[in-house]
Amino acid sequence: MLVGIPLEESRSNVTKPKDCADEMAAHLAAVAESRSKTSFAKVFGYFAPRLRSYALKQMGNEALAMELVQDTMSNVWQKAHLFNAEKGSPSTWIFTIARNIRFDMLRKLQNRKEDVCSDDLWPVLCEQTPDANEVSLDEQITLEQVGQLFDVLPDKQRAVIEAIYIDGKSQQEVADELCIPLGTVKSRTRLALQRLKDMLQDYD
Amino acid sequence: MIKLHPTQAQLVEFAEGTLSPAMSLVVAAHCDMCQHCQEKLEVINTQLAESSLVYDVSEQELPGGYSEMLSRITSLPASHIDVPAQQHGIIELDGKTFKLPRALHRYVSKTGNWSHLVGKLWQAPVDLGDMGRANFIYMEKGGRVPEHTHKGNEITLVLDGEFSDGISHYDTGDFMIMTEDHVHAPESNASEGCLVFSIVDQPLHFTSGLARLLNPFSQLFF
Ligand SMILES: [Zn+2]
Repeated sequence: MLVGIPLEESRSNVTKPKDCADEMAAHLAAVAESRSKTSFAKVFGYFAPRLRSYALKQMGNEALAMELVQDTMSNVWQKAHLFNAEKGSPSTWIFTIARNIRFDMLRKLQNRKEDVCSDDLWPVLCEQTPDANEVSLDEQITLEQVGQLFDVLPDKQRAVIEAIYIDGKSQQEVADELCIPLGTVKSRTRLALQRLKDMLQDYD
Repeated sequence: MIKLHPTQAQLVEFAEGTLSPAMSLVVAAHCDMCQHCQEKLEVINTQLAESSLVYDVSEQELPGGYSEMLSRITSLPASHIDVPAQQHGIIELDGKTFKLPRALHRYVSKTGNWSHLVGKLWQAPVDLGDMGRANFIYMEKGGRVPEHTHKGNEITLVLDGEFSDGISHYDTGDFMIMTEDHVHAPESNASEGCLVFSIVDQPLHFTSGLARLLNPFSQLFF
């Protein structure tokens, strides 16, 4: 279905990207949530000609330019859920996708053996974008897994492990806090760690 | 505290995708570590999007081509969540582990063994194909490198620790480009030594094995 196919003579295409950012963001959300072809057609109609003008300047040839437009808009369609309106406007997001695809296309054309790809340089389409304060995905998984394992520990062992490994307390501090001998803290820690280790091995 | 950032012009070229791949890699790794440059990049991306995605009124429209493209695209399935490949991004030396910035994760598997260069200096080469020569370089605490200069441009990012060279003090996250004009004598006083990632933008050509022996640091940042 070709709803609202674009390439308008109409005024809408001379609208500046920032003046229709909210509208385009809403369309992207509709694509992400319900695969709305109508909404995608609006986004496509607005951006495809703009991408083409960028692509022609960058690639200098009609066929490559249209390949760049198509790859970019395919990513928009397939990965609309990765657009985050809080992080930037639709036009910025779509530009960065096109920039990445251009980079990879040019390197491929130049037949370079360099092992660098756009995802490393600009993680636009990664499920998670870098955030200095964010725990990385594998660490999250580990923490989560360990968290589940913790639940299996006997309450007394868990209290000691959490105090030491999560709150960062010393064994002596834990002993003082729980009013138990240091030796007990040590043996509970050892037992708990042994148990966690066994469970982690089972995990693998 | 990071004091040394890529220049505005370098960030713009990086965002355009026109900076050299080697330089881009180091800039990307720096930006992973640097909130300040991340914010600048966001602004630059917005400006580039505005100036790049313009509607060219003179454009000959291709309605047929576009509608065909549109229906081809909307017949594609939504992408399943691609969980990023498990790349732990950690390198080890002498019992110590270092967590690398995201942009360098891919290169962990392309890093060769550590070799002891001289004094308290260690090096592990990274295979970057045609892109240039890269090395992880580790200077142990109290390490010192004799005064020297550089051949070609070396782009360096401090990944962990800090060092001084008589000209400046470099801290974790600092980004720098050294050229033949720089003469310095780096020294690490940090309690944990210092790890850097360094790329030679243009591959170097050593004229003789002897020159290489005499100046093992010509290929290094230090
Ligand atoms: Zn910076």
